[in-house]
Amino acid sequence: MALLRAEEEAKVREWFAELERPVELLVAIGPEETPRTGAGDVDFGAEMVRVCEGLAELGEGVTCRIEQEPEGFPRFPAVSIRPDGRDAGVRYDGLPWGYELGSLVGAIVEAGREEPTLRPDSLAALEQLDRDLALEVFVTPT
Amino acid sequence: MLLAFRFALASERVSGTAIEANEFPQLSQELGVWAVPRIVVDGEPRWDGAVPEPEFLRRVLS
Repeated sequence: MALLRAEEEAKVREWFAELERPVELLVAIGPEETPRTGAGDVDFGAEMVRVCEGLAELGEGVTCRIEQEPEGFPRFPAVSIRPDGRDAGVRYDGLPWGYELGSLVGAIVEAGREEPTLRPDSLAALEQLDRDLALEVFVTPT
Repeated sequence: MLLAFRFALASERVSGTAIEANEFPQLSQELGVWAVPRIVVDGEPRWDGAVPEPEFLRRVLS
């Protein structure tokens, strides 16, 4: 089954062609938690590889690397979105399917920008941070 | 979701992680995830739902 509809794929190719720096998708595969009932009979790890390899085919600046249980990943499968191959603290735990595939595409586009896209006051506030800040956003595919 | 990613990309002090709630039911239950998006800051559940960037900034720093 195709990852995206034809018109969606064309749009993603356009976005990926405009990336200002390379973006690596580091896919982490490992032991998986039993998902909530109703998640279906899905091989989440294999599907994560298919999704990320499929996205990497849509732009020269996007690459995909797969590792078994790499350090720093508390849950599997997961994908770290890495500008210039650097761990920037951007990660998606679980399979980004359905509507959430757009979030992964968006993360790649954002990681491919040389300059942050936040408002000046947000950037100023983050520059003043004197501690680490871990943001987690729980999502579902629909 | 993208706001958390954009914050992480803008600061080395910030990490942004999306977590698919259905795939990690134990963690979701521990954090009381009944609605999405649920935003958790430094391991502490903070609020549900999308908010504009200025409000997001205010809430994550408060």
